[in-house]
Amino acid sequence: MGPADSPYAGGVFFLSIHFPTDYPFKPPKINFTTKIYHPNINGTGSICLDILKDQWSPALTISKVLLSICSLLTDANPDDPLVPEIAHVYKLDRPKYEATAREWTKKYAV
Amino acid sequence: MPTINVKLVAAESLYKRDVFRQPDPFAVITVDGSQTKTTKTAKKTLNPYWNELFSLNANEDSILVIQVFDQKKFKKKDQGFLGVVNVRIGDVIHMSLQNSEETITRDLKKLNEHLAVSGRVIIVLSYNLASGTGTAASASAPVAGATAAGASIAAAPASMPPAANGTAQPLDAPPAPGVDAPSNGDSLANRQYSSFEDQYGRLPPGWERRTDNFGRTYYVDHNSRSTTWQRPMADQSETERGQQRENYTEAERRQHRGRTLPGQTPQSPVLSATNSTNNSNSGSVTVNSSGANTPVSAAAAVSMAASGGTTRGLGELPSGWEQRFTPEGRPYFVDHNTRTTTWVDPRRQQYIRTFGPNTTIQQQPVSQLGPLPSGWEMRLTNTARVYFVDHNTKTTTWDDPRLPSSLDQNVPQYKRDFRRKVIYFRSQPALRILPGQCHIKVRRDHIFEDSYQEIMRQTPDDLKKRLMIKFDGEEGLDYGGVSREFFFLLSHDMFNPFYCLFEYSSHDNYTLQINPNSGINPEHLNYFKFIGRVVGLGVFHRRFLDAFFVGALYKMMLHKKVVLQDMEGVDAEFYRSLQWIIDNDITDVLDLTFSAEDDQFGQIVEVDLKPGGRDIEVTQDNKHEYVELICEWKIHRRIEEQFKAFIDGFNELIPQELVNVFDERELELLIGGLSEIDVEDWKKHTDYRGYQESDQVIQWFWQCIKEWDSEQKARLLQFTTGTSRIPVNGFKDLQGSDGPRRFTIEKAGEPQQLPKSHTCFNRVDLPPYTSYESMKQKLTLAVEETVGFGQE
Repeated sequence: MGPADSPYAGGVFFLSIHFPTDYPFKPPKINFTTKIYHPNINGTGSICLDILKDQWSPALTISKVLLSICSLLTDANPDDPLVPEIAHVYKLDRPKYEATAREWTKKYAV
Repeated sequence: MPTINVKLVAAESLYKRDVFRQPDPFAVITVDGSQTKTTKTAKKTLNPYWNELFSLNANEDSILVIQVFDQKKFKKKDQGFLGVVNVRIGDVIHMSLQNSEETITRDLKKLNEHLAVSGRVIIVLSYNLASGTGTAASASAPVAGATAAGASIAAAPASMPPAANGTAQPLDAPPAPGVDAPSNGDSLANRQYSSFEDQYGRLPPGWERRTDNFGRTYYVDHNSRSTTWQRPMADQSETERGQQRENYTEAERRQHRGRTLPGQTPQSPVLSATNSTNNSNSGSVTVNSSGANTPVSAAAAVSMAASGGTTRGLGELPSGWEQRFTPEGRPYFVDHNTRTTTWVDPRRQQYIRTFGPNTTIQQQPVSQLGPLPSGWEMRLTNTARVYFVDHNTKTTTWDDPRLPSSLDQNVPQYKRDFRRKVIYFRSQPALRILPGQCHIKVRRDHIFEDSYQEIMRQTPDDLKKRLMIKFDGEEGLDYGGVSREFFFLLSHDMFNPFYCLFEYSSHDNYTLQINPNSGINPEHLNYFKFIGRVVGLGVFHRRFLDAFFVGALYKMMLHKKVVLQDMEGVDAEFYRSLQWIIDNDITDVLDLTFSAEDDQFGQIVEVDLKPGGRDIEVTQDNKHEYVELICEWKIHRRIEEQFKAFIDGFNELIPQELVNVFDERELELLIGGLSEIDVEDWKKHTDYRGYQESDQVIQWFWQCIKEWDSEQKARLLQFTTGTSRIPVNGFKDLQGSDGPRRFTIEKAGEPQQLPKSHTCFNRVDLPPYTSYESMKQKLTLAVEETVGFGQE
């Protein structure tokens, strides 16, 4: 569920979680299968989140990871973007970003 | 029924049924069981390239079937079946649209359970409304279709929407489903790059983008059937690309040729002496009865250097020995028993002086003592007194380890000295070239299989004879150059991950490790034995391989235990997690048992790390044991069989107790050779964190490196990056565990501490030292003495 205080509110976003054989020594591979407009998530659903990459720790559980993803939806990180164009809009024209994100949510996630 | 165009571009990675013979694949195409079309037969390849266009009548519900067969076996029972692909036309292209063209890659499927199948086919399906409607199977369709298909490939980069637009403006994005994306309405807009394009646009025709099992992107060129890490440029022509590839190989070859070991340069007098000996003695390196030519076998020359000269001994020469003089009047000695020559007077080498408790000198013939224990080396002080170096404990003693000991304190201090070790190593009887010749004849383009046949058919003793390599159809006698080329080409081929015997480590793009899944090739153990022999052959005949292994493999070759730190070079991510376990309390955090899961071709197999391991919980108390065991399993146990075959092959030429004088970094240099390191290039492509290039410490750092010899420079590289290899294009292409990583110096630690290294990131942590001397001493100590990793 998109967080209430974000433009994704009301949307239901599906993710695919793939556990590698080396889990929990390697991070799970998580992708959005629902399309989403977000500076840190690209068109194929890949998520740019440090704990899924080099900041992974074996102590992280799936619920903690999902919590992090939720907070990424509320607070995007436009300084380390996966989609620079969205980050650009996010930084310069926040209302436009929110409008587009809401529109996408309505289109793909409701 | 409308006409569609099916272009069968290629298939690749087909299943190899025979060990040495490759199939002659061709494909049969049908639509709904009729309209059978056949491609030409590609010869002897697992990656056939057909690139043939067929026009077929089909609608969206038609099923296109492509079957691949081996032409050589087509008459046999199974008809040489290599796989089948079924495609529903409507899943790929939309006939309701004006023009539709899609390139797809599909895995080949089995027909029944008995015949294994692998690989995939690449097909371009296109449909052009203008030429397709109404006139079913019209004569003009193929022509128009061909243009359409051809043009759409060529014109693709121009018409492709830029990456950003694809995501930012989904409303008018073209309905282009990704290759394997589920074809429901939603995912149409969820645009995925097919494997023939990326964010920079479309790849040149015949190229494909792929990802390996570590998630690294590489590119497959179906035109030349080769792979590369570098993205091909669209505006290059095929010849330019071929030229670039050749330039790259040539640069690698130059780098390979330039490799040396201390005490020898490529054109050193020692080697040319060897060559001229070979020259006039029709290839036999040892001087026989009429030793009028330069009497220096290289082994003898180095043992001369080791003993420091030709001081004359006393008394009679041993039987079978003769003293002779070079044209310059220098004395040398001929041993007719072993048909070898040496500068060293046998009367001096024959006896070892040992100093007994009462300082009386006892003498004993060396020959009665046998070889030194494993890891020991014999050296001479500058006063020609013999002492012994134990590289296992890094200590020295006057006492021959083969004799009862005495006590004497003034023995020289231990010093790691690679040059001396190499000289000692070369002087050992087990590494002498045997009389006779070892002929190996190979075809340049079949170097792997030809070498396998040639090298495995000979006995290890045959392989110790003077090596005479010949490339089929090429003139040229092997005075060194040909065999250098041979080892260069062979190392490229046999370590090619394509054969599944070795793979690149996840640490960077060029260090190699044994592929745990190599068993896919039922003959793999024979191949590992062969590769071990080739590595031994290179060391024995002083030729270098153009290949670098992960540090852990060299350690295993020295029978050293692998530890957690070795994991860093094998799998950096896994290493960090294990380090986390060591550093943190894991109670109630992790739920692990003493077992590991292994993915064997998609099947998950649980492996006990110790007996009954899957029922033993990992706790805070026993976690260290767990970490140790899982490292050993991951690095060593999983490839134990393969490694054993490899080291057996190696030890057939190089006895284990002789290699043991080296440490793992020296072994890397012994096998791969030392490259001349360009310090200016190194400096130019170095990043600083916390420091600036103008800082005093940094200037000291480079000053120190310039003063070092190439072995020490290589050791610093090994310390920081895990390998002494430099990328072919210089330091700007240095790779880390997460892509390109330049050499980095970070300000960290206290001035009294030693430098530390992070091989994942090619980084050295250099404390802000207060004087040049202290920095040089600390850096030297870290680089010389720590084998493996930084010390706290």
